[in-house]
Amino acid sequence: MAERAAARPTGAFRLAGPRGLWGLELQASLRRRRALAIKLVFPLVLAVPLALTGAPQFFAAMLLTVLIAMVGTVGTGVSLTRARGAGWLDRLAVLPLGRWRVGLELFLAGWVVDCLQATLLILVLEAAQRPDPLTLFSTWLLSLATLAFSGALGLAVAALTDNPGEAMLVLAVVLAPMLFLSGLFTGVPASGPRYWIAQILPFSYLQNAFQLVLHGNPPYGSDPQFLLASAAFLLVGGIAAAALGRPLLHRGA
Amino acid sequence: MAVLALEAQGILRRYRNGRGVGPVSLRLGPGEVLALLGPNGSGKTTLLRCLSTRSRPRGGEVRWFGDPDPARARPRLAVVFDATAHVDEVSGQDNLRFFARARRVREDPQLLADSGLAEVGGEQVANYSYGMRRRLLIAEALVGDPTLLVLDEPTLGLDVEGRRWLERVLGERQRRGLSTLVGTNDTSFVEEVATRVGFLVDGRLVADSPLGELLASVGGMREVSLRFRGEVDLDRLREVAGVRQVVASPDGALVLAAHRDGLVADVLGAVGELDRRLVDLTIREPGLADCFLQLTGRPLDG
Repeated sequence: MAERAAARPTGAFRLAGPRGLWGLELQASLRRRRALAIKLVFPLVLAVPLALTGAPQFFAAMLLTVLIAMVGTVGTGVSLTRARGAGWLDRLAVLPLGRWRVGLELFLAGWVVDCLQATLLILVLEAAQRPDPLTLFSTWLLSLATLAFSGALGLAVAALTDNPGEAMLVLAVVLAPMLFLSGLFTGVPASGPRYWIAQILPFSYLQNAFQLVLHGNPPYGSDPQFLLASAAFLLVGGIAAAALGRPLLHRGA
Repeated sequence: MAVLALEAQGILRRYRNGRGVGPVSLRLGPGEVLALLGPNGSGKTTLLRCLSTRSRPRGGEVRWFGDPDPARARPRLAVVFDATAHVDEVSGQDNLRFFARARRVREDPQLLADSGLAEVGGEQVANYSYGMRRRLLIAEALVGDPTLLVLDEPTLGLDVEGRRWLERVLGERQRRGLSTLVGTNDTSFVEEVATRVGFLVDGRLVADSPLGELLASVGGMREVSLRFRGEVDLDRLREVAGVRQVVASPDGALVLAAHRDGLVADVLGAVGELDRRLVDLTIREPGLADCFLQLTGRPLDG
Protein backbone atom coordinates (compact mmCIF):
# COMPACT_ATOMS: atom_id res chain seq x y z
CA MET A 1 0.00 0.00 0.00
CA ALA A 2 2.80 2.37 0.92
CA GLU A 3 4.53 1.59 -2.40
CA ARG A 4 1.49 2.66 -4.30
CA ALA A 5 1.31 5.90 -2.37
CA ALA A 6 4.92 6.59 -3.26
CA ALA A 7 4.16 6.46 -6.99
CA ARG A 8 5.69 9.06 -9.31
CA PRO A 9 3.72 12.19 -10.21
CA THR A 10 0.74 11.34 -12.41
CA GLY A 11 0.92 12.09 -16.13
CA ALA A 12 -1.31 15.14 -15.98
CA PHE A 13 0.72 16.59 -13.13
CA ARG A 14 3.89 16.23 -15.18
CA LEU A 15 2.12 17.74 -18.20
CA ALA A 16 1.15 20.78 -16.18
CA GLY A 17 4.88 20.97 -15.63
CA PRO A 18 5.34 23.64 -13.01
CA ARG A 19 5.83 22.46 -9.49
CA GLY A 20 3.71 24.95 -7.66
CA LEU A 21 0.21 26.17 -7.20
CA TRP A 22 -0.36 27.20 -10.78
CA GLY A 23 0.48 23.72 -12.06
CA LEU A 24 -2.07 22.24 -9.69
CA GLU A 25 -4.74 24.81 -10.55
CA LEU A 26 -4.09 24.51 -14.28
CA GLN A 27 -4.30 20.76 -14.10
CA ALA A 28 -7.63 21.11 -12.30
CA SER A 29 -8.95 23.44 -15.02
CA LEU A 30 -7.87 21.05 -17.76
CA ARG A 31 -9.57 18.15 -16.02
CA ARG A 32 -12.92 19.91 -15.76
CA ARG A 33 -13.59 18.72 -19.30
CA ARG A 34 -17.20 19.78 -19.66
CA ALA A 35 -16.55 23.23 -18.22
CA LEU A 36 -13.45 23.55 -20.40
CA ALA A 37 -15.37 22.59 -23.55
CA ILE A 38 -18.06 25.17 -22.79
CA LYS A 39 -15.38 27.79 -22.10
CA LEU A 40 -13.64 27.12 -25.38
CA VAL A 41 -16.79 26.99 -27.48
CA PHE A 42 -18.72 29.97 -26.15
CA PRO A 43 -16.48 32.74 -27.61
CA LEU A 44 -16.89 31.05 -30.98
CA VAL A 45 -20.66 31.35 -30.80
CA LEU A 46 -20.13 35.10 -31.07
CA ALA A 47 -16.94 35.17 -33.13
CA VAL A 48 -18.00 32.88 -35.98
CA PRO A 49 -21.09 34.85 -37.08
CA LEU A 50 -19.25 38.16 -36.63
CA ALA A 51 -16.34 36.97 -38.75
CA LEU A 52 -18.46 35.37 -41.46
CA THR A 53 -21.37 37.74 -41.94
CA GLY A 54 -19.55 40.97 -42.72
CA ALA A 55 -20.90 42.82 -39.69
CA PRO A 56 -19.78 46.50 -39.50
CA GLN A 57 -16.14 46.38 -38.39
CA PHE A 58 -16.50 48.92 -35.57
CA PHE A 59 -19.34 46.99 -33.89
CA ALA A 60 -17.82 43.58 -34.56
CA ALA A 61 -14.51 44.74 -33.04
CA MET A 62 -16.39 46.22 -30.07
CA LEU A 63 -18.19 42.94 -29.36
CA LEU A 64 -14.99 40.90 -29.67
CA THR A 65 -13.21 43.27 -27.27
CA VAL A 66 -16.06 43.11 -24.76
CA LEU A 67 -15.89 39.32 -25.04
CA ILE A 68 -12.15 39.26 -24.28
CA ALA A 69 -12.62 41.68 -21.36
CA MET A 70 -15.43 39.53 -19.90
CA VAL A 71 -13.49 36.28 -20.31
CA GLY A 72 -10.54 37.67 -18.35
CA THR A 73 -12.37 39.41 -15.54
CA VAL A 74 -15.30 37.10 -14.87
CA GLY A 75 -13.29 33.87 -15.02
CA THR A 76 -10.73 35.03 -12.48
CA GLY A 77 -13.10 36.99 -10.24
CA VAL A 78 -15.69 34.24 -9.93
CA SER A 79 -13.28 31.33 -9.51
CA LEU A 80 -11.31 33.10 -6.78
CA THR A 81 -14.35 34.17 -4.77
CA ARG A 82 -15.60 30.58 -5.06
CA ALA A 83 -12.21 29.36 -3.81
CA ARG A 84 -12.51 31.71 -0.85
CA GLY A 85 -16.02 30.43 -0.06
CA ALA A 86 -14.77 26.84 -0.10
CA GLY A 87 -11.93 27.68 2.30
CA TRP A 88 -9.11 27.07 -0.21
CA LEU A 89 -7.69 30.59 0.15
CA ASP A 90 -7.68 30.14 3.94
CA ARG A 91 -5.50 27.10 3.47
CA LEU A 92 -3.13 28.91 1.13
CA ALA A 93 -2.89 31.86 3.51
CA VAL A 94 -1.27 29.79 6.26
CA LEU A 95 1.30 28.15 3.99
CA PRO A 96 4.85 29.51 3.88
CA LEU A 97 4.37 30.89 0.37
CA GLY A 98 5.28 34.42 -0.71
CA ARG A 99 2.10 36.48 -1.08
CA TRP A 100 3.23 37.82 -4.47
CA ARG A 101 3.76 34.27 -5.60
CA VAL A 102 0.25 33.14 -4.63
CA GLY A 103 -1.31 36.07 -6.51
CA LEU A 104 0.80 35.49 -9.58
CA GLU A 105 0.29 31.73 -9.65
CA LEU A 106 -3.49 31.86 -9.20
CA PHE A 107 -3.61 34.51 -11.93
CA LEU A 108 -1.38 32.50 -14.29
CA ALA A 109 -3.48 29.33 -14.01
CA GLY A 110 -6.61 31.22 -15.09
CA TRP A 111 -4.79 33.24 -17.72
CA VAL A 112 -3.45 30.17 -19.55
CA VAL A 113 -6.98 28.82 -20.05
CA ASP A 114 -8.23 32.27 -21.09
CA CYS A 115 -5.41 32.40 -23.65
CA LEU A 116 -6.68 29.16 -25.20
CA GLN A 117 -10.07 30.80 -25.67
CA ALA A 118 -8.56 33.91 -27.27
CA THR A 119 -6.34 31.81 -29.54
CA LEU A 120 -9.33 29.89 -30.87
CA LEU A 121 -11.09 33.18 -31.56
CA ILE A 122 -8.03 34.50 -33.43
CA LEU A 123 -7.87 31.30 -35.48
CA VAL A 124 -11.49 31.80 -36.53
CA LEU A 125 -10.67 35.36 -37.63
CA GLU A 126 -7.63 34.11 -39.55
CA ALA A 127 -9.71 31.52 -41.38
CA ALA A 128 -12.54 33.91 -42.21
CA GLN A 129 -10.67 37.17 -42.92
CA ARG A 130 -7.12 36.24 -44.01
CA PRO A 131 -5.59 39.37 -42.48
CA ASP A 132 -1.95 40.46 -42.70
CA PRO A 133 0.09 37.94 -40.61
CA LEU A 134 1.81 40.64 -38.54
CA THR A 135 -1.53 42.31 -37.79
CA LEU A 136 -2.98 38.95 -36.78
CA PHE A 137 0.02 38.23 -34.57
CA SER A 138 -0.07 41.64 -32.88
CA THR A 139 -3.83 41.28 -32.35
CA TRP A 140 -3.33 37.86 -30.80
CA LEU A 141 -0.63 39.20 -28.50
CA LEU A 142 -2.79 42.18 -27.60
CA SER A 143 -5.67 39.81 -26.80
CA LEU A 144 -3.42 37.92 -24.39
CA ALA A 145 -2.25 41.18 -22.83
CA THR A 146 -5.86 42.37 -22.48
CA LEU A 147 -6.68 39.05 -20.82
CA ALA A 148 -3.77 39.62 -18.42
CA PHE A 149 -5.03 43.11 -17.59
CA SER A 150 -8.60 41.84 -17.21
CA GLY A 151 -7.45 38.89 -15.13
CA ALA A 152 -5.67 41.25 -12.73
CA LEU A 153 -8.86 43.30 -12.60
CA GLY A 154 -10.80 40.12 -11.73
CA LEU A 155 -8.25 39.36 -9.01
CA ALA A 156 -8.66 42.87 -7.60
CA VAL A 157 -12.43 42.43 -7.50
CA ALA A 158 -12.03 39.02 -5.83
CA ALA A 159 -9.90 40.76 -3.18
CA LEU A 160 -12.82 43.09 -2.46
CA THR A 161 -15.80 40.72 -2.57
CA ASP A 162 -17.00 37.65 -0.73
CA ASN A 163 -18.97 35.58 -3.21
CA PRO A 164 -19.30 35.03 -6.97
CA GLY A 165 -22.57 36.97 -7.23
CA GLU A 166 -21.09 40.02 -5.55
CA ALA A 167 -17.97 39.71 -7.70
CA MET A 168 -20.06 39.67 -10.90
CA LEU A 169 -21.92 42.77 -9.81
CA VAL A 170 -18.77 44.70 -8.90
CA LEU A 171 -17.09 43.59 -12.12
CA ALA A 172 -19.98 44.95 -14.17
CA VAL A 173 -19.82 48.25 -12.28
CA VAL A 174 -16.05 48.54 -12.80
CA LEU A 175 -15.81 47.19 -16.33
CA ALA A 176 -18.65 49.09 -18.02
CA PRO A 177 -17.16 52.58 -17.42
CA MET A 178 -13.73 51.32 -18.44
CA LEU A 179 -15.11 50.04 -21.73
CA PHE A 180 -17.00 53.28 -22.29
CA LEU A 181 -13.93 55.41 -21.53
CA SER A 182 -11.92 53.23 -23.90
CA GLY A 183 -14.23 54.44 -26.68
CA LEU A 184 -15.69 51.03 -27.40
CA PHE A 185 -19.23 52.33 -27.83
CA THR A 186 -18.62 55.82 -29.22
CA GLY A 187 -15.08 55.88 -30.56
CA VAL A 188 -12.17 57.75 -28.94
CA PRO A 189 -12.13 61.56 -29.20
CA ALA A 190 -9.02 63.03 -30.87
CA SER A 191 -8.02 64.88 -27.71
CA GLY A 192 -9.05 65.59 -24.11
CA PRO A 193 -9.21 63.43 -20.96
CA ARG A 194 -11.07 60.58 -22.65
CA TYR A 195 -8.37 60.32 -25.28
CA TRP A 196 -5.70 59.97 -22.60
CA ILE A 197 -7.74 57.54 -20.52
CA ALA A 198 -8.20 55.37 -23.61
CA GLN A 199 -4.42 55.35 -24.07
CA ILE A 200 -3.81 53.79 -20.66
CA LEU A 201 -6.41 51.02 -21.01
CA PRO A 202 -5.90 48.02 -23.30
CA PHE A 203 -9.44 47.86 -24.64
CA SER A 204 -9.19 50.70 -27.19
CA TYR A 205 -6.01 49.20 -28.63
CA LEU A 206 -7.65 45.81 -28.92
CA GLN A 207 -10.76 47.22 -30.58
CA ASN A 208 -8.58 49.00 -33.13
CA ALA A 209 -6.51 45.88 -33.72
CA PHE A 210 -9.67 43.81 -34.28
CA GLN A 211 -10.87 46.45 -36.76
CA LEU A 212 -7.63 46.05 -38.69
CA VAL A 213 -8.04 42.27 -38.74
CA LEU A 214 -11.58 42.73 -40.05
CA HIS A 215 -10.20 45.01 -42.80
CA GLY A 216 -11.64 48.16 -41.24
CA ASN A 217 -10.01 51.57 -40.77
CA PRO A 218 -9.42 52.27 -37.11
CA PRO A 219 -8.77 55.89 -36.16
CA TYR A 220 -5.29 55.04 -34.87
CA GLY A 221 -3.02 52.15 -34.14
CA SER A 222 -0.30 50.28 -35.97
CA ASP A 223 1.31 46.90 -35.50
CA PRO A 224 4.38 48.27 -33.62
CA GLN A 225 2.07 50.28 -31.37
CA PHE A 226 -0.01 47.17 -30.67
CA LEU A 227 3.12 45.13 -29.91
CA LEU A 228 4.39 47.79 -27.53
CA ALA A 229 1.01 48.06 -25.83
CA SER A 230 0.90 44.25 -25.49
CA ALA A 231 4.24 44.18 -23.71
CA ALA A 232 3.18 47.02 -21.41
CA PHE A 233 -0.19 45.49 -20.45
CA LEU A 234 1.30 42.02 -19.96
CA LEU A 235 3.74 43.57 -17.53
CA VAL A 236 1.04 45.63 -15.79
CA GLY A 237 -1.20 42.57 -15.47
CA GLY A 238 1.58 40.42 -14.03
CA ILE A 239 2.79 43.02 -11.55
CA ALA A 240 -0.75 43.88 -10.44
CA ALA A 241 -1.60 40.18 -9.95
CA ALA A 242 1.54 39.66 -7.86
CA ALA A 243 0.79 42.74 -5.75
CA LEU A 244 -2.83 41.67 -5.23
CA GLY A 245 -1.86 38.32 -3.68
CA ARG A 246 -1.72 39.77 -0.18
CA PRO A 247 -5.11 41.59 -0.18
CA LEU A 248 -6.69 38.55 -1.85
CA LEU A 249 -5.51 36.18 0.86
CA HIS A 250 -6.02 38.53 3.76
CA ARG A 251 -9.55 39.69 3.05
CA GLY A 252 -11.41 39.38 6.35
CA ALA A 253 -8.27 38.17 8.15
CA MET B 1 14.35 27.24 29.17
CA ALA B 2 12.71 25.91 26.02
CA VAL B 3 11.06 28.47 23.76
CA LEU B 4 7.27 28.41 23.88
CA ALA B 5 5.64 27.25 20.67
CA LEU B 6 2.91 29.79 21.22
CA GLU B 7 2.33 32.68 23.57
CA ALA B 8 -0.73 34.91 23.37
CA GLN B 9 -1.13 38.00 25.53
CA GLY B 10 -4.56 39.60 25.79
CA ILE B 11 -5.57 38.89 22.24
CA LEU B 12 -8.87 40.34 21.20
CA ARG B 13 -10.99 39.79 18.13
CA ARG B 14 -14.65 40.77 18.53
CA TYR B 15 -17.28 41.14 15.81
CA ARG B 16 -20.00 43.75 15.59
CA ASN B 17 -22.56 41.36 17.09
CA GLY B 18 -20.38 41.06 20.20
CA ARG B 19 -19.29 37.51 19.41
CA GLY B 20 -15.67 36.65 18.93
CA VAL B 21 -12.93 36.20 21.41
CA GLY B 22 -10.88 38.00 23.99
CA PRO B 23 -9.09 39.21 25.76
CA VAL B 24 -7.39 35.83 26.00
CA SER B 25 -3.90 34.95 27.16
CA LEU B 26 -2.41 31.48 26.90
CA ARG B 27 0.87 29.65 26.47
CA LEU B 28 1.75 26.42 24.75
CA GLY B 29 5.06 24.77 25.48
CA PRO B 30 6.98 21.99 23.73
CA GLY B 31 5.30 18.60 23.97
CA GLU B 32 1.98 20.00 25.12
CA VAL B 33 -1.41 19.22 23.66
CA LEU B 34 -3.74 22.02 24.68
CA ALA B 35 -7.43 21.41 23.96
CA LEU B 36 -9.87 24.31 23.94
CA LEU B 37 -13.38 23.21 24.83
CA GLY B 38 -16.42 25.40 24.53
CA PRO B 39 -19.98 25.35 23.21
CA ASN B 40 -20.85 26.58 19.72
CA GLY B 41 -20.25 30.30 19.43
CA SER B 42 -17.82 30.42 22.35
CA GLY B 43 -15.02 31.75 20.10
CA LYS B 44 -12.93 28.61 19.52
CA THR B 45 -12.60 29.02 15.77
CA THR B 46 -11.93 32.77 16.00
CA LEU B 47 -9.24 32.13 18.58
CA LEU B 48 -7.67 29.34 16.55
CA ARG B 49 -7.62 31.55 13.46
CA CYS B 50 -5.74 34.23 15.41
CA LEU B 51 -3.32 31.70 16.88
CA SER B 52 -2.69 29.99 13.54
CA THR B 53 -1.63 33.22 11.73
CA ARG B 54 -4.82 33.22 9.64
CA SER B 55 -6.47 36.24 11.32
CA ARG B 56 -4.96 39.30 12.89
CA PRO B 57 -6.18 39.99 16.42
CA ARG B 58 -7.47 43.54 16.94
CA GLY B 59 -5.65 43.76 20.26
CA GLY B 60 -2.92 41.95 22.15
CA GLU B 61 0.02 40.04 20.76
CA VAL B 62 0.76 36.51 19.61
CA ARG B 63 4.28 35.12 19.51
CA TRP B 64 5.14 31.93 17.69
CA PHE B 65 8.44 30.39 18.84
CA GLY B 66 9.19 33.71 20.53
CA ASP B 67 8.67 35.74 17.35
CA PRO B 68 5.63 37.97 16.62
CA ASP B 69 6.06 37.74 12.83
CA PRO B 70 3.47 35.27 11.43
CA ALA B 71 5.36 34.87 8.14
CA ARG B 72 8.40 33.51 9.99
CA ALA B 73 6.18 31.13 11.97
CA ARG B 74 4.45 29.54 8.96
CA PRO B 75 7.26 27.18 7.91
CA ARG B 76 7.01 25.53 11.36
CA LEU B 77 3.25 25.63 11.74
CA ALA B 78 0.38 23.72 10.14
CA VAL B 79 -3.36 24.18 10.45
CA VAL B 80 -6.46 22.05 9.91
CA PHE B 81 -9.51 24.25 9.45
CA ASP B 82 -13.05 22.93 9.53
CA ALA B 83 -13.50 23.34 5.74
CA THR B 84 -12.24 20.45 3.61
CA ALA B 85 -11.11 22.50 0.61
CA HIS B 86 -8.79 20.74 -1.82
CA VAL B 87 -8.12 20.90 -5.53
CA ASP B 88 -10.82 18.32 -6.20
CA GLU B 89 -9.96 17.49 -9.80
CA VAL B 90 -6.53 16.07 -8.98
CA SER B 91 -5.58 13.09 -6.84
CA GLY B 92 -5.10 13.03 -3.10
CA GLN B 93 -1.47 12.23 -3.81
CA ASP B 94 -1.05 15.34 -5.95
CA ASN B 95 -2.72 17.50 -3.30
CA LEU B 96 -0.38 16.08 -0.69
CA ARG B 97 2.58 16.64 -3.02
CA PHE B 98 1.60 20.29 -3.41
CA PHE B 99 1.62 20.81 0.36
CA ALA B 100 5.02 19.13 0.64
CA ARG B 101 6.41 21.43 -2.04
CA ALA B 102 4.82 24.50 -0.49
CA ARG B 103 6.47 23.63 2.82
CA ARG B 104 9.72 22.80 1.03
CA VAL B 105 9.95 19.31 2.48
CA ARG B 106 10.23 15.87 0.97
CA GLU B 107 7.06 13.93 0.38
CA ASP B 108 6.41 11.25 2.95
CA PRO B 109 4.56 8.41 1.21
CA GLN B 110 3.94 6.81 4.58
CA LEU B 111 1.53 9.62 5.43
CA LEU B 112 -1.02 8.43 2.88
CA ALA B 113 -0.66 4.87 4.09
CA ASP B 114 -0.96 5.86 7.74
CA SER B 115 -4.02 7.98 7.09
CA GLY B 116 -5.71 4.99 5.44
CA LEU B 117 -5.78 6.61 1.99
CA ALA B 118 -3.09 4.57 0.22
CA GLU B 119 -5.67 2.65 -1.83
CA VAL B 120 -7.36 5.81 -3.09
CA GLY B 121 -4.31 8.09 -3.20
CA GLY B 122 -4.28 8.14 -6.99
CA GLU B 123 -8.00 8.94 -7.31
CA GLN B 124 -9.46 12.40 -7.74
CA VAL B 125 -10.35 14.02 -4.43
CA ALA B 126 -13.77 14.78 -5.94
CA ASN B 127 -14.56 11.05 -5.51
CA TYR B 128 -13.62 11.03 -1.81
CA SER B 129 -16.17 10.79 0.96
CA TYR B 130 -16.29 13.55 3.57
CA GLY B 131 -14.36 11.40 6.05
CA MET B 132 -11.65 10.66 3.46
CA ARG B 133 -11.31 14.38 2.72
CA ARG B 134 -10.89 15.05 6.44
CA ARG B 135 -8.17 12.39 6.67
CA LEU B 136 -6.39 13.93 3.69
CA LEU B 137 -6.67 17.36 5.31
CA ILE B 138 -4.97 16.05 8.45
CA ALA B 139 -2.30 14.18 6.44
CA GLU B 140 -1.52 17.41 4.56
CA ALA B 141 -1.11 19.25 7.85
CA LEU B 142 1.32 16.59 9.07
CA VAL B 143 3.60 17.02 6.06
CA GLY B 144 7.03 18.13 7.27
CA ASP B 145 6.25 17.31 10.90
CA PRO B 146 5.29 20.86 11.96
CA THR B 147 6.53 22.03 15.34
CA LEU B 148 3.12 23.55 16.04
CA LEU B 149 -0.08 21.94 14.81
CA VAL B 150 -3.41 23.76 15.12
CA LEU B 151 -6.55 21.64 14.68
CA ASP B 152 -10.10 22.96 14.49
CA GLU B 153 -12.67 20.21 15.19
CA PRO B 154 -10.27 17.49 14.02
CA THR B 155 -12.54 14.51 14.73
CA LEU B 156 -15.36 15.86 12.56
CA GLY B 157 -16.28 13.18 10.01
CA LEU B 158 -13.63 10.69 11.16
CA ASP B 159 -14.66 7.09 11.71
CA VAL B 160 -13.37 5.05 14.66
CA GLU B 161 -10.25 3.98 12.79
CA GLY B 162 -9.48 7.53 11.65
CA ARG B 163 -9.94 8.79 15.16
CA ARG B 164 -7.55 6.21 16.58
CA TRP B 165 -4.98 7.17 13.93
CA LEU B 166 -5.26 10.81 14.94
CA GLU B 167 -4.99 9.91 18.65
CA ARG B 168 -1.82 7.89 17.90
CA VAL B 169 -0.35 10.74 15.83
CA LEU B 170 -0.94 13.33 18.54
CA GLY B 171 0.46 10.99 21.19
CA GLU B 172 3.65 10.46 19.16
CA ARG B 173 3.97 14.19 18.54
CA GLN B 174 3.69 14.85 22.24
CA ARG B 175 6.39 12.32 23.05
CA ARG B 176 8.70 13.96 20.52
CA GLY B 177 8.23 17.37 22.10
CA LEU B 178 6.02 18.84 19.35
CA SER B 179 3.12 21.09 20.29
CA THR B 180 -0.55 20.81 19.35
CA LEU B 181 -3.49 23.12 19.86
CA VAL B 182 -6.96 21.64 19.40
CA GLY B 183 -10.36 23.32 19.35
CA THR B 184 -13.21 20.86 19.77
CA ASN B 185 -16.39 19.82 21.51
CA ASP B 186 -15.39 16.18 21.53
CA THR B 187 -14.65 15.51 25.21
CA SER B 188 -13.78 11.83 24.82
CA PHE B 189 -11.16 12.74 22.21
CA VAL B 190 -9.75 15.43 24.48
CA GLU B 191 -9.57 12.99 27.38
CA GLU B 192 -7.45 10.70 25.14
CA VAL B 193 -5.01 13.24 23.73
CA ALA B 194 -4.81 16.45 25.77
CA THR B 195 -2.21 17.30 28.37
CA ARG B 196 -3.96 20.59 29.20
CA VAL B 197 -7.50 21.78 28.74
CA GLY B 198 -8.91 25.29 28.43
CA PHE B 199 -12.58 26.17 28.72
CA LEU B 200 -13.90 28.98 26.53
CA VAL B 201 -17.11 30.76 27.41
CA ASP B 202 -18.31 33.84 25.51
CA GLY B 203 -14.85 34.32 24.05
CA ARG B 204 -13.03 34.18 27.37
CA LEU B 205 -10.77 31.50 28.72
CA VAL B 206 -12.33 30.64 32.07
CA ALA B 207 -10.04 27.71 32.89
CA ASP B 208 -6.68 26.43 31.72
CA SER B 209 -5.45 23.42 33.68
CA PRO B 210 -3.75 20.05 33.24
CA LEU B 211 -6.23 17.39 32.15
CA GLY B 212 -5.56 15.23 35.21
CA GLU B 213 -6.25 18.12 37.57
CA LEU B 214 -9.56 18.91 35.93
CA LEU B 215 -10.72 15.31 35.99
CA ALA B 216 -9.64 14.97 39.63
CA SER B 217 -11.82 17.97 40.51
CA VAL B 218 -14.90 15.90 39.65
CA GLY B 219 -13.39 12.62 40.80
CA GLY B 220 -15.76 11.81 43.63
CA MET B 221 -18.86 13.03 41.87
CA ARG B 222 -21.74 11.69 39.82
CA GLU B 223 -23.66 13.15 36.93
CA VAL B 224 -27.38 12.46 37.23
CA SER B 225 -29.34 13.13 34.07
CA LEU B 226 -33.12 13.32 34.47
CA ARG B 227 -35.91 13.47 31.92
CA PHE B 228 -39.39 14.22 33.17
CA ARG B 229 -42.83 15.40 32.16
CA GLY B 230 -43.88 18.90 33.13
CA GLU B 231 -42.09 21.46 35.26
CA VAL B 232 -39.82 20.62 38.18
CA ASP B 233 -38.66 23.14 40.72
CA LEU B 234 -34.89 23.15 40.09
CA ASP B 235 -34.29 24.95 43.38
CA ARG B 236 -35.53 21.83 45.18
CA LEU B 237 -32.86 19.84 43.33
CA ARG B 238 -30.23 22.42 44.29
CA GLU B 239 -31.14 22.00 47.95
CA VAL B 240 -30.24 18.28 47.91
CA ALA B 241 -27.09 17.69 49.97
CA GLY B 242 -23.90 17.45 47.86
CA VAL B 243 -25.39 18.94 44.72
CA ARG B 244 -22.91 21.30 43.01
CA GLN B 245 -24.68 22.24 39.80
CA VAL B 246 -28.17 21.90 38.37
CA VAL B 247 -28.82 22.87 34.79
CA ALA B 248 -32.16 22.73 32.99
CA SER B 249 -32.25 20.74 29.75
CA PRO B 250 -35.09 20.84 27.21
CA ASP B 251 -36.95 17.92 28.81
CA GLY B 252 -35.36 17.62 32.23
CA ALA B 253 -32.27 18.54 34.19
CA LEU B 254 -28.63 17.68 34.61
CA VAL B 255 -27.42 17.36 38.19
CA LEU B 256 -23.78 17.23 39.26
CA ALA B 257 -23.30 16.12 42.84
CA ALA B 258 -20.76 14.63 45.24
CA HIS B 259 -21.26 10.90 45.35
CA ARG B 260 -22.71 9.47 48.58
CA ASP B 261 -25.14 6.82 49.72
CA GLY B 262 -28.70 7.95 49.17
CA LEU B 263 -27.84 10.64 46.64
CA VAL B 264 -30.08 9.27 43.90
CA ALA B 265 -32.98 8.70 46.28
CA ASP B 266 -32.73 12.29 47.49
CA VAL B 267 -32.58 13.65 43.92
CA LEU B 268 -35.63 11.64 42.94
CA GLY B 269 -37.39 12.78 46.04
CA ALA B 270 -36.82 16.36 44.97
CA VAL B 271 -38.43 15.66 41.60
CA GLY B 272 -41.49 14.21 43.36
CA GLU B 273 -44.49 12.30 41.95
CA LEU B 274 -42.10 9.89 40.26
CA ASP B 275 -44.68 7.46 38.96
CA ARG B 276 -46.35 10.24 36.99
CA ARG B 277 -43.44 12.46 36.01
CA LEU B 278 -40.13 10.62 35.68
CA VAL B 279 -39.38 9.44 32.12
CA ASP B 280 -35.71 8.52 32.25
CA LEU B 281 -32.74 8.52 34.62
CA THR B 282 -29.04 8.09 33.84
CA ILE B 283 -26.19 8.06 36.35
CA ARG B 284 -22.56 8.12 35.25
CA GLU B 285 -19.10 9.03 36.42
CA PRO B 286 -18.32 12.56 35.39
CA GLY B 287 -15.92 13.60 32.66
CA LEU B 288 -14.72 16.81 31.08
CA ALA B 289 -18.23 17.94 30.20
CA ASP B 290 -19.02 17.87 33.91
CA CYS B 291 -15.83 19.77 34.73
CA PHE B 292 -17.04 22.37 32.28
CA LEU B 293 -20.46 22.45 33.93
CA GLN B 294 -18.95 22.71 37.40
CA LEU B 295 -16.55 25.52 36.51
CA THR B 296 -18.75 27.58 34.20
CA GLY B 297 -22.27 26.76 35.36
CA ARG B 298 -23.17 26.02 31.74
CA PRO B 299 -23.49 22.78 29.81
CA LEU B 300 -20.84 22.19 27.15
CA ASP B 301 -23.41 21.31 24.52
CA GLY B 302 -25.02 24.72 24.79
